[in-house]
Amino acid sequence: MKVLLVDDEKKFVLMLARRLNLRGIQAEFVYTGAEAIVLVEKGEHFDVAVLDVKMPGISGIELRRELEGLDPRMKFVFLTGHGSSIDYRVGASEAAFYLPKPLKIEELIKTLGRLTGGPVEDANPRH
Amino acid sequence: MMKSPNRFLGSIWPRFYLNNDEHLNPYYTFQDYRQTWGMAIFILMTTALLPLIVMTLIYYQLIETSIDTESLLRTERATSNARRAVTFFLEERLAALTFTANEMGYDQLTNPGHLTEVLRNLKLGFGGLTDLSVIADSGTQVTYAGPFNLEGKDYSNQPWFMECQQHDACVSETFSGYRDVPHIVVAVKSTRPDGRLFVLRATLETERLIQTLSAYKTGEHADIFLVNRNGLLQTPSQFYEGESHHVDITLPTYSNRTKAVMSADRNGQPIVIGYAFIDTEIAPTSFILMVVKQKAGMMKVWLNLRSDINWFLVVSAVILAIVITLTSTFMVNKIFQADRQKAETMVMAEQNCQLASIGQLAAGVAHEINNPLALINETAGYVKDLFLIKAQYEDTELVEHIDSIIEAVDRCGTITRQLLGFARRFDVHTQPIDLKEMVADVISFHKKEAAYRNITIHMDIPETIPLIETDRGKLQQIILNLVNNAFQAIDDGCFLDIRAEMDGSERVRLFIRDNGCGISEDHLNKVFEPFFTTKKEGKGTGLGLSITYGLVKKLHGNITIQSKRGEGTTFEITLPIQCQKEV
Repeated sequence: MKVLLVDDEKKFVLMLARRLNLRGIQAEFVYTGAEAIVLVEKGEHFDVAVLDVKMPGISGIELRRELEGLDPRMKFVFLTGHGSSIDYRVGASEAAFYLPKPLKIEELIKTLGRLTGGPVEDANPRH
Repeated sequence: MMKSPNRFLGSIWPRFYLNNDEHLNPYYTFQDYRQTWGMAIFILMTTALLPLIVMTLIYYQLIETSIDTESLLRTERATSNARRAVTFFLEERLAALTFTANEMGYDQLTNPGHLTEVLRNLKLGFGGLTDLSVIADSGTQVTYAGPFNLEGKDYSNQPWFMECQQHDACVSETFSGYRDVPHIVVAVKSTRPDGRLFVLRATLETERLIQTLSAYKTGEHADIFLVNRNGLLQTPSQFYEGESHHVDITLPTYSNRTKAVMSADRNGQPIVIGYAFIDTEIAPTSFILMVVKQKAGMMKVWLNLRSDINWFLVVSAVILAIVITLTSTFMVNKIFQADRQKAETMVMAEQNCQLASIGQLAAGVAHEINNPLALINETAGYVKDLFLIKAQYEDTELVEHIDSIIEAVDRCGTITRQLLGFARRFDVHTQPIDLKEMVADVISFHKKEAAYRNITIHMDIPETIPLIETDRGKLQQIILNLVNNAFQAIDDGCFLDIRAEMDGSERVRLFIRDNGCGISEDHLNKVFEPFFTTKKEGKGTGLGLSITYGLVKKLHGNITIQSKRGEGTTFEITLPIQCQKEV
């Protein structure tokens, strides 16, 4: 599974990518929506894009629309520092998932598995 | 049974009089209800009573004018009749004397026995004569017939004799003469066979004349008498009898017609005076016939009626005043209660608004904290991963420390989530709600804007919709949000249509439809997503419809949207009649 992480919090997205990699998920990261578009336009395919909702420039919501246009197979997970997941799921369409910050990595991996329909890797092999 | 008088008293008791809810004052439409009340009573009283009073005064005026006209006419008629009688009385006697003088001639009349015979015959035929005498042109009385011996008297200086010399006949004023008895002299002039003049004179009993006059006196408020042209009484008067025998009324100028005028007596009381100058066919007289009537006497019936009318007017005014005061109090009370309800709603709305601001502030703070928390969480997690997954390092104690960092972050995350949910975490308090009243309340907030922007708001919520058991604040917020949303979406001059219908017996459907810009099909399934907005950056939070969606869900209802670009949008909300049954 190949995952694209987009978040303007540079340290955060770096840490998240490393943790996913440690769990056998191939994760790449960029800091802005524009960079993400460039990457996908080059023809790189990602199974899932994990997007921060609030970013300078192109917001997560807008970026999803753009990326869907470029690669219709792509699935999306939104990260937000704004409120509880329950509140957001209420208003969300079926095709997207919202996860609140701070994030539980196990929940993210479970969500990624659900979206791709593939087997969920053991998030924490030693536990 | 006891309730209805209490309710009646409650509705007319001026509650606004002791309005001491000062915190509501800025939200009242009318600041001074006492003044409004006073003005209402004053205007109603004026419009009700003024025409009544004016009409009554006009009626009085008309009645008095017609009474005046009528009394003038009556007095004139009475005067005219009396004048005819007096004139006839004098003419009759003058004619008898003329006939006697011409028929008998001087020679026969100077025979004393014959003259006595003539006097007796005249008394029998006409009456009212005291004596009869023949006077030579020198003024000396030649022959006398009557109770007094006045033969040889000289009348040449008497005014009546001098007047008789000039005219064919004369009527004297009332005078006492040689006998000191009031009498009137009538005399006619004739010619002797030798061509010299002689005068046949008779004394008239004033008693007879007075009787004739008093036959024309009508009632105790009227007087009838004769005066000479200097205002001296010639016959007795009821009103003007005094030492001087002088009448203190301004005498009219000569006229040969009977007249009546309005005047006032010496006490200032209004009177009607009828007068006529008495002239016989043969000779003029100095008599003026006067009929005086006191107006108060003639008005008595009318004055009684007027007093009755005045009483009626006073009683009507009192009844009107009571009814107007009660009605005004009732109406102003109703307005006050409605205004008070509005003010209370406004205060509540303001409090809700403050809570919403607190919620937004909390959300902002939580958002700012969540990002660094996420960084701490991921960094600590990564370090832990290095120990446990990559197994680069081995230190159980350090892993425990990292776990406590992650736990602390988790605790902080819980707190920020609670903070974010603050504005929306109020428990659902159900109470019976009239949907129509609530929608009307919400619309009333937008009335001014609607009028200003020429937006038509149409509401159609049938009376058959039952009361809904739900949370007042949340339902109000839902309707307010959707109406707000519609107001932002429509252009000036558009319309907003709110209607409701039953959906089975358990649910009610509310439609909020506008003919604004509409939403394109590809945006339609995203409008309830948080942060989704078509407004310019900084204009909308993108949370309004999302919050509305959450609120509808909390009330166990459902919300859907139908829209066409350029044609408008319809939101359909379905709510259970009993909120708690629908869990």
